[in-house]
Amino acid sequence: MSDVATRVKQVVAETLEIDASQIGDTDRFVEDLGAESIQSVELVAAFEEEFDIDMDSEGALGVKAIDGAVDFIAKAVAEQHPG
Amino acid sequence: MDIVKRCFEAARAQPGRIVLPEGHDPRIAAAARQLADDGLAQPILLGKADRITAAASEAGVSLTGIETFDPAESDRLGTYADRYRAGRSLKESIALRMVKKPLFFGGMMVACGDADTLVAGVANATATVIQAGVLTVGYGPGIETASSFFLMLVPTPGGGAERPFIFADCAVNVQPTAEQLADIAIASAGSAASLLEDPPRTAMLSFSTRGSASHADAEKVTAALQLVRKRNPSLLIDGEFQADSAIVPAVAAKKVADGSPVAGQANVLVFPDLDAGNIAYKLTQYLAGAKAIGPFLQGFAHPISDLSRGASVDDIVATSAICLAQAGKDG
Repeated sequence: MSDVATRVKQVVAETLEIDASQIGDTDRFVEDLGAESIQSVELVAAFEEEFDIDMDSEGALGVKAIDGAVDFIAKAVAEQHPG
Repeated sequence: MDIVKRCFEAARAQPGRIVLPEGHDPRIAAAARQLADDGLAQPILLGKADRITAAASEAGVSLTGIETFDPAESDRLGTYADRYRAGRSLKESIALRMVKKPLFFGGMMVACGDADTLVAGVANATATVIQAGVLTVGYGPGIETASSFFLMLVPTPGGGAERPFIFADCAVNVQPTAEQLADIAIASAGSAASLLEDPPRTAMLSFSTRGSASHADAEKVTAALQLVRKRNPSLLIDGEFQADSAIVPAVAAKKVADGSPVAGQANVLVFPDLDAGNIAYKLTQYLAGAKAIGPFLQGFAHPISDLSRGASVDDIVATSAICLAQAGKDG
């Protein structure tokens, strides 16, 4: 599992107050992890802080699951912190 | 007097503070100028100083006398972040990051009494405006659902004064539960009380009138009605009614034999789901020639509103005046 995936799960666990070890690679935030859709914007803010990136909010809010978040963030990190 | 004109008069009588978080948009700068020049409001624009200046320049307006704030540089950030995360386990750093966002900073201005209302949506999706509203301003007392309403001005035969109605929910909740429908009804009655001259008479609409049809969808409406009556016994609300029973006295007299303070004279129509609400407002607009003004958000502790992305300067000014009139009644 990638470092990005581990850190994404850690952020999700802290924000949603759940156990990181219970989070699966393809879990969906709302349906599988019990997130309220209203929290998604705070989850995005937590990812921005953890990875020191700016995320396009509408694109980010279209991400519905852990694997999608990992891809989205890895791309943003590569673009905003090349090398 | 036309209800919209009355809102302009109410706003002008007591110009409130309106925060416009999308200060980088030229239409917002132009609307702020018009609100200030017409004495309707004290507008507050949020955004980066250079981008607000550029937007005003593009709109061809001056910013003289209009407050502008860059949330990221504000000395209120700490206070707003503390208030934002009050009673929650959210990290302080995340709260700070949230309230630096103009939409959230604006919401905290309203929540903390530094502004009376917020209007946004030319650069943010409706869902984002609602999300910011819930997390900053919060819901009104006893309400846990954000919803929307249209102010419908329906022409009367013979060209008399237009009849005003509140239609809800026509834009937000697709398939509300009975609990959500109860929230929508209570919020709609509140919106009507703040905008209409006559007291709100709220009809819970269905394809059934007082049990004329037996179906789970009609039962949802009656369950919502019972919830509203339990939560707010003083509200003039009744149902379940077909639309004609709700607004036509002659039909009400036949179909609602036991009498009702609402049947035949409803001015607040609560639809069972978004299909019904959205279709009804568009048919009323296009077949009956009604003016459809909105949608406005409701259910929040203070009035805030969404704009369509394509809103014109006049749309933004009118929406602002209506929100300010509501805020004036609240205050």
